[in-house]
Amino acid sequence: MKYRLRVNGGTRDVDVPRGTQLLEVLRDDLGLTGARYGCGRGQCGACFVLADSGRGPRAVASCLMAVDQAATVEITTVEGLAHDSELHPVQKAFAAEDAMQCGYCTSGMVISAVALLASSPKPSDAEIRDALAPNLCRCGVYTRAIRAVKRAAG
Amino acid sequence: MSREVSERAARVAPASRGSAPDAPIPNLVEQRIRFEPDGSVTAFSGKIEFGQGIRTAFAQIVAEELRLDPERVRMVMGDTAQVPFDRGTFGSRSIAQDGDALRKAAAYAREQLLRRASEKLGVARERLTIADGAVRDGGVRDGSRGLTYAALAADPPLAGEVPDDVPLTPASEHRVLGRPRARVEARDIVTGRATYVADVRLDGMLHGKRLQPPVRGARLRSLDDAAARAMPGVRVVRDGDFAGVVAERAAQAQAALDALEADWTSPNGDDQQTVVIPMREDDGVDAALASAAHVVEASYVLPYISNAPIGPSAAVADVRADEATIYAGTQRPFGLRTEIASALGLAEERVRVVPRMPSGTYGRNSVGDASFEAAMLSRLAKRPVLVQWTREEEFTYAPARPAAVLDAKVGVGADGSLVAWRYDEHTNAHGYGFAVDPRIAPFTSGRNAIPPYRFGKGRITLYIEPTPVRTASFRSLAAAENVFAIESLLDELAFAARTDPLTFRLRHIDDPRLRRVVEAVAERATLGERSSAGLGKGLACTIYHGTYCAQVAEVVIAANGTPRLTRFWCAVDPGLVVNPDGVRNQIEGGIQQSASWTLLEELGQRDGRITTTGWDTYPIATFRDAPEEIDVHVMGDEAKPSTGVGEPGTVPVAAAIANAIFAACGARVRELPIGAERVRRARPNG
Repeated sequence: MKYRLRVNGGTRDVDVPRGTQLLEVLRDDLGLTGARYGCGRGQCGACFVLADSGRGPRAVASCLMAVDQAATVEITTVEGLAHDSELHPVQKAFAAEDAMQCGYCTSGMVISAVALLASSPKPSDAEIRDALAPNLCRCGVYTRAIRAVKRAAG
Repeated sequence: MSREVSERAARVAPASRGSAPDAPIPNLVEQRIRFEPDGSVTAFSGKIEFGQGIRTAFAQIVAEELRLDPERVRMVMGDTAQVPFDRGTFGSRSIAQDGDALRKAAAYAREQLLRRASEKLGVARERLTIADGAVRDGGVRDGSRGLTYAALAADPPLAGEVPDDVPLTPASEHRVLGRPRARVEARDIVTGRATYVADVRLDGMLHGKRLQPPVRGARLRSLDDAAARAMPGVRVVRDGDFAGVVAERAAQAQAALDALEADWTSPNGDDQQTVVIPMREDDGVDAALASAAHVVEASYVLPYISNAPIGPSAAVADVRADEATIYAGTQRPFGLRTEIASALGLAEERVRVVPRMPSGTYGRNSVGDASFEAAMLSRLAKRPVLVQWTREEEFTYAPARPAAVLDAKVGVGADGSLVAWRYDEHTNAHGYGFAVDPRIAPFTSGRNAIPPYRFGKGRITLYIEPTPVRTASFRSLAAAENVFAIESLLDELAFAARTDPLTFRLRHIDDPRLRRVVEAVAERATLGERSSAGLGKGLACTIYHGTYCAQVAEVVIAANGTPRLTRFWCAVDPGLVVNPDGVRNQIEGGIQQSASWTLLEELGQRDGRITTTGWDTYPIATFRDAPEEIDVHVMGDEAKPSTGVGEPGTVPVAAAIANAIFAACGARVRELPIGAERVRRARPNG
């Protein structure tokens, strides 16, 4: 089945079975491995991408979104946040705060933070915790990540 | 874990102290340092980076001794075709062992470059300066003839064993060591470009799944693969009890795996015995207990828990007729090479293990399940194969952290001093391979069972109990269980002796470095100040592989008994500090992870089969559970060798929290995880 996807500001054509998860398409067909496989059930946030259907970007689990549905929205993955070599403020802030260890969950956290700041430019601590709660981190960088989101908010 | 088993158990010879299986590995400068024509340096280590920050720290160490910007040092780590042999990345030993080896190799190389330059330039050694990739005659003001490191190192090639007494740069002259430095991988990680093992893509690569036996050792009696074979793009492969599928697409492989109908035989029960290892046997323990003014007798209990990496196990293997390359998230690339070579019937030197970052796995990658499966599938399919475990497979088939029951009977004399310490540690095998070998087990399954206090007469015994649950290595091994018990006990003993926990500990500490961190954390946390109702602070400390770590937890207890970790303080002395921010990050993360073990985690299992399948049934700490502040005070001792920080931060946390809960509401909880119900049952007013 052929699909035309809007990903990271461009269009990409793929030919995959109907119902294929967006995560699999990104990683195996489009070579965008920044969204990570973590649980396949939307329980960990490692595969988050931004999906925009015209009402602003939302962080969604790409493991739960079928390619059919993905074809109806604008997708931005973590690879699409930087412009040329200029990092997104959230990416800069995570690097500056060293808010990572293994980094496996970082893509998803960055995506959640970008979505949060798009709708709430000056979030409170509680808002940050709530918005990033779907992103599990086993290395335990939560306090640093909260600082990073605040730094990105300025 | 039954105590009956212990009583029937065979006693084995006591461990001889200091017999850790660490024969020296020669440190050859040509295996460690390579000078590149562009002035940069490539340095080599058999250790693995999986989030601890050692790639950055190693680059700092090499840069310091070679007078370079750390940007000019590139680390090659773990690739068996490129790096010197290494036993594995565990025990928070990377900086202490390989950091030391790299530092000496770099210093030795620097001294050799200076000696050669002195000869070539005909200039006294004292007049030379070495910096930024060149040796120059410092006596010449401008236009000094510089000789590049690469040119000096080339002819003849710099080689030979690094002497142990090579002069190291003194701390007073450090320009790189001890300065915070951002992680080398930071940009790749925040842009999503970091390549984890599951991101490796090879030409012609297939997706593979192994049909997991329901229990280890089960044999495949019959396999109905008709439905799987009928699926497009799928092949079923089998070699005896090993069966699996390969497919063009990941989803196809999973569907084919689900379509296999297998009949397994149950394995014969292993006739394993408890292994009993005396770790301390003083005479007169019972008499000392009988004469004690206060005796505290208590049992502490820890459940099986999961390493629970965010990224489930993965590997890519490319097995050819006479060679194999394995992209692995392993902690033991050389050990894995041996195991894979044996499984494939290849000579070791025909197998190359190329480490790629796994997610953090905290000891789980001491065993290489996915690598073995990928190798077998690739051999059978004659194509490169990627194996990616599902979340459910990771919980179900990965090894668990052993359970533990710690039985203690400890006496305090009338003068408030410890007089007798009886301690039975019942646990399962921590670690892989030789985990029950009595020469090794005291350092793994018995880790930190000996308290860092003057405790009078002691009888400390390790019982390694058989279990149907597969157990292996988890961050800090048995130190987590032993320090939970020992540091909870210290508070119970202080309470019995009507002394405050800080004073009681200090009275029994001889080691000045431990005293220093304990006093520092107590001051920073204002321990001992009166606190409001329902809020309590608890102290705990440890010496872990040479690192001194003292902590205070602050908890608030809700009316329904739910404990909430609100703030945390830690003072840590890891000797000479390489990267202070790296130290803080590791300690903070260790605290956060260990708080999760303490308050939330328990693996479900029935007759050895894990029943936990996902994050819904295995909750870990989330952003909402994070404390408001984790204050890490790095107070390294630059005159002492560098020691590790990956594990020590996790070790005292459970006791610090349990002690804080007691301080907050009088509930002494001796079993983990500590949820609302355990607090309610233990607190005086219910």
